[in-house]
This record gives sequence, structure tokens and C-alpha cells, in this order.
Amino acid sequence: MKKHRTQKKCEPSGESQVSELLVLPDGRILVHNLTPAFAGLLHELNPDDEQISSRVTRHMSPRL
Amino acid sequence: MICSTISGLPGVNAFKGTAPGFGLRREAKRHAALVGADEVFKSGVAAALCHRSPKSRAFLARERARIARAMLADCRFCAHDCGVNRLVGEAGLCHAGAETRIFMAQAEVSDELELIPTFAIALSGCDLRCDFCITGGPSWNPRAGEPVRVEILAGQARAALADGARTIMILGGEPTIHLPAALEIVAALPDDAKLVWKTNAHGSAQARALLDGMFDVWLADFKFGNDACAQRLAKVPDYVRVVRENLLWANEHSELIVRHLLMPGHVECCWQPVAEWLASSLPAVKVNLRSGFWPAWQAARHAELRRTVSGPESARAVDLAQRLGLNLIP
Repeated sequence: MKKHRTQKKCEPSGESQVSELLVLPDGRILVHNLTPAFAGLLHELNPDDEQISSRVTRHMSPRL
Repeated sequence: MICSTISGLPGVNAFKGTAPGFGLRREAKRHAALVGADEVFKSGVAAALCHRSPKSRAFLARERARIARAMLADCRFCAHDCGVNRLVGEAGLCHAGAETRIFMAQAEVSDELELIPTFAIALSGCDLRCDFCITGGPSWNPRAGEPVRVEILAGQARAALADGARTIMILGGEPTIHLPAALEIVAALPDDAKLVWKTNAHGSAQARALLDGMFDVWLADFKFGNDACAQRLAKVPDYVRVVRENLLWANEHSELIVRHLLMPGHVECCWQPVAEWLASSLPAVKVNLRSGFWPAWQAARHAELRRTVSGPESARAVDLAQRLGLNLIP
């Protein structure tokens, strides 16, 4: 199992956004603190994943 | 959500039918006696809590934040009931002082679908010591992160709402141990914002009285189905009784969503009794059964927690929920 921590710096306030994910040997990915941006990325990688697609909402601003 | 009462405290229905401004002192005294807290009355909390005039949530939150800060001198916000004076540096089991710090504030979409996107504000420190805590570092350390700057946080929350966030969620760690700051944050937020209190449901009657009417949704964990697992994995005694008490109260006083994080090897000992109690005591309540456990923090101290939840375990847990007729939500 590999644990990854993604961090995106936001300007100008300096706060960061963090999602953590755990990649399991069978290919499943567990995610904690899923941000809209990271949900969008996961959705692009696998548009058929219903768990993620249900969390990528259309009315969400890209600024979130 | 604007006017609050404390009529749902355990064994208490003190303010039902009280006319605005009528008999407040008597009712306050009665409340103080019922919650077993003379100091509460002396500090004026009961009088403030039973004020029935229609004030805004922000106004009430500001009043209560002031009272809650004074109550740090004899802290009994959680069920550990330490009674330490956090204002002079004494620390109870949570190790928290008078200062509140945050370790994360960001928009997230990993919570219940009906709550997301949410702007999540995570306060450092917790009164439980769950070895498997996924945010163990900052949750066990109230000095992690940065000091709360209420106006900046409120500005970020307002911006998130404008950008499409559906809710604002205050969580931890455990936010109950930081009631003064949590209420100050509420006081700085718009009255019509939908607020979520994400909690371990281990708070005291005093904490519940201060929280009454402040949050639209209680998102409460019911982690362990028996006291032995709670003691072994989170070092907390008398867990089941306290959580049940909090859930029953929350169900009466706000919208309630109960969360259970399915743990490997704990379907029968933890999920099953939790599910059976929910089916019998809170049959319509929304339940989110989460199977995304991963062996974080110090989970490896426990042999059964060194792995994720298996497919058959997850299927058994869902099957049980369906047989019991639980109202599962994604």
C-alpha cells in the first residue's frame, strides 16, 4: 500500500489544500480529505467511477 | 435555527412553555441544578441559554462563546469531566489549553453527498485517543497547526459559500473541546449558512446546552459497539452510554446523521450492536456506513487493524444494515 499526500499552494493567502490517498495493491484508491480539484483529477482518470463522479458537482466553482 | 432552548437535556424539559423573558432567573437556577453545575448558573450561562427572545444565531453564538470561554476555568465540555482550569494552563486528557488552533480549512467533497461541497474547518486536538485516527498527528496534539483567526476563517467560509459550497463544517480532532472558538466562528458566519457539527458524540450535557440551536446538522460518529473495544482502541471508558445519550439528544435538537467507520475485524463486535441499537432507538435516522478504513497513525498496535476492510466484511455489514432496515445514505 502506498500513501500519497497531495498539496496545492494557494495564493495569496498562503493556505494549502490537502488530499490524502492510499493506493491498494488491487488498484483501489482510498481518499481522505478529497478536495474538489482532486476529485476532478480522479474523475478525469476514470470517468466511470461512480464513487467519484457523484462528488464532482457541476455547480461547483473551479475556485473551490 | 435561530431561537434555541435547552429543553432536551437529559431529564430536563425546563423551558417548554416559558414565555419570552418570563421567569428566566428561576428557570436558569433550575437548569443549573439539573445539570449539576452551580458554576454554570453563577457564570450566567443558564440565563443566557434560556433567553427566548428571537435573536440571530450569530448573536446567540457570540453570547455563548463568551460564556464558554469562562467555563474553561472548570472545563467539563466532554464526558471525561476533567474539571481542569484551562485558562491557567492546566490540561485534562485532551491536553488542550485556552488557545484553539486549526490544522486544515478547505473545501472538500468526501463527506455525505447531501452535505458536499463543504467548507471544512478542522480544529486541532481531541478528547479521544483512537489509535487508528486518520488525522492522528494534529488530532492528538492541540498545539498542531495555526491559531484560529476567526475573521479570516469566516471570510474563507463566505467565499466558499459564494463559490458553491453547500455547508460549512466544523470538525477536529474534536471540536467539542474548543467550544469557545467554535462558537466564535459560528458568530462570524451568516445566519442562513447551513452549519454542520462533526463530532465524536462524546460531549457533556453542558456542551450540548451551549450547542443547542447553533448547528443545522450533527454529523456524529458511533465508532464502537461496546466499551471493551472503545477502551482498547481509544482509551475511553463508558463510551457506549455517552454516545447514545448524545445521539438521542442530537436527534431531538437538529438533523442527525450517524456515521460508522467499519473497522477490519469489528463487524460483529462493533457494527452489529451499533446497527441494532440504531434500528431500535433511532429507526429513521440517516446512517452513513463507511468502509474506507485504512491503517493510519498507530493502528498497527492492533493486529486486526493492520489491513483495510475486506470485501466480504463490507458485504456482511451492508447486508446487516439492510436486514435491519437502516436508512443508509451515501
